[in-house]
Amino acid sequence: MASTRRFPVELGYVLPLLLLMLAMFILPIVLMLARSVTQPEWTIEHYRSLIETSVYLRVLGRTLRIAVITTIACAVLGYPLAYWIRGLSPQRQVLATALVVLPFWISILVRSYAWIVVLGNAGVVNRILLDLGLVGAPVAFLYNELGVIIGTTNVLLPFLVLPLFAAMVRIDDRLLHAAESLGASRGTVFRRVFFPLSLPALAAGSILVFILTFGFFITPAILGGGRVPMVANALDLLINQFARWEAAAALSTVLLVVTLTCFAISRWVGARNATS
Amino acid sequence: MTNRRTFMKATAFAALPGGLALPGMARAQSQLREIRMVEAGGLSGDSIEAGYIRPFTARTGIRVARENPNPLGKLRAMVESRSITAVLFELGSLSMAIADAAGLIEPLDWAAINPDPMFDEAKLPNAFGYQYYSTLMAWRSDAKPPRSWADFWDVQNFPGKRTLPDNVTLALPMALLADGVAPAQLYPLDLNRAFRKLERIKGSVSVWWGAGAQPPQLLKDNEVQYAASYSGRVAGQAGINMTYAQGLLDLSYFVVPKGANPAEKAAAMGLLHEMSVARNQATAAEVIPYTGASPALEQLLPQARLDEFPTTRSNKDVQVAGNPAWWAQNRDAAERRWQEFKLGL
Repeated sequence: MASTRRFPVELGYVLPLLLLMLAMFILPIVLMLARSVTQPEWTIEHYRSLIETSVYLRVLGRTLRIAVITTIACAVLGYPLAYWIRGLSPQRQVLATALVVLPFWISILVRSYAWIVVLGNAGVVNRILLDLGLVGAPVAFLYNELGVIIGTTNVLLPFLVLPLFAAMVRIDDRLLHAAESLGASRGTVFRRVFFPLSLPALAAGSILVFILTFGFFITPAILGGGRVPMVANALDLLINQFARWEAAAALSTVLLVVTLTCFAISRWVGARNATS
Repeated sequence: MTNRRTFMKATAFAALPGGLALPGMARAQSQLREIRMVEAGGLSGDSIEAGYIRPFTARTGIRVARENPNPLGKLRAMVESRSITAVLFELGSLSMAIADAAGLIEPLDWAAINPDPMFDEAKLPNAFGYQYYSTLMAWRSDAKPPRSWADFWDVQNFPGKRTLPDNVTLALPMALLADGVAPAQLYPLDLNRAFRKLERIKGSVSVWWGAGAQPPQLLKDNEVQYAASYSGRVAGQAGINMTYAQGLLDLSYFVVPKGANPAEKAAAMGLLHEMSVARNQATAAEVIPYTGASPALEQLLPQARLDEFPTTRSNKDVQVAGNPAWWAQNRDAAERRWQEFKLGL
């Protein structure tokens, strides 16, 4: 086995980064999380109170639900967008991807506040709706779960569109032509050839969006109006305001386990699809 | 034990930029060039610069570097990693009570501070109260003025949307005052009664604010007509009225993190002295309408705007004092109920 003999050499290349990550990132995180069982002495008390009071677990549950909805919204909006960009001429593709990436260059804080100007009670959308007589009173777009989901979807859409678009342009047009020449309708070509080929990228982008939503802090704080506490907001409170690091470590550990479980399930499903 | 020590090393690493100040420990006091403080930032930080740091540096030649913000977690990280990167740390009254109970701060040297006369509640063994502020009722000028939290809660006679702080230590006293509890009888807080009262108003609360900048903005945008706001954020703002009646008067403190370098601490006591001088407090209050703890301050404030300041005699008397010690004891239980309440919004 030549590859096993080459293994140590390859390891040498990654070793510096690996050690850096281990010392500066993994180790501090493990030590921080370990506080949930080692402080003030060996104990499972912090987990027990987490489960007994259940309120923080319910915050976690709400976070999960918002993550699922955001992921679906991103997929529903992002897939047609990526598909449309794929059909453009190369110059227009550059322009379109630039527009998709553009929000990355604007601070997340500014983007979140911009939504207030657009969707607030005296915002652009509500004024138009009122002027047209479509609604009698301003629609509550903000300061609720809808506001948070609009915000997270806006921020995370590029994370789905970009990998999806990259995967779509790699799909060989000749495969599609071959399917058409064999008599498949355009719908059938999409359903049986194009979509399955783009599915792994869609799944990868979705899981990325899903996991990133877990950590959102500013968006729920601003667009949720304090009514939609997510787990990052609860952690901020425990760490910074109350200095209850042990409880925060316990909650973080639960969050990490849930995230890794979701990730493992998605990989498992992905692997099963690939083999079937 | 090894576990704990490795952790401390790890956090010391995290605090590396501040760790560069460590060589300063070895220096003699005469060579001390600079001390550092952690403060709340914004205009409040600017007011410290203008009111207190400038005269202190002029007198001693010692510069003061400011950094912000000032979460309690930062103080705990400093103390537990034994890397005290700032000798003065600003804390709100609740954070100060928690830090005091957790042994994160050390006694001040009041003899060295040698303060000018101060209000009693500002002169604690381990904490120097330097800035009063209030959380009070504010409303759009075109809305009907409320006189009490009971009015604020009365959405029939005072129609309009509200914003309240996403902060259990403020929302609960407001709810109890609205329910008719006398200010002197507030503590110990009746949690059941407070949450029942909050249930009654939650439908009219558009936003539970987290940042002090939100209430004035929400009022200006006409998102809400009534707000509970920090006094300094709405004082003197066009189109916004406010009252100190039943405002929740609170005090921000400076503390010294446990294990601070003695030479730096000695210098910091000199800066605290400047914070007790009425003239300096008046300069700071020009930057932001929060006030220091000198009873003699009132004559030095701009007389035309006296009603904007939280500690003038007429304003201080109509406000309600907090009870940080009670909160330090009961915050966990209250906070859990608060999270439950918010999950039901």
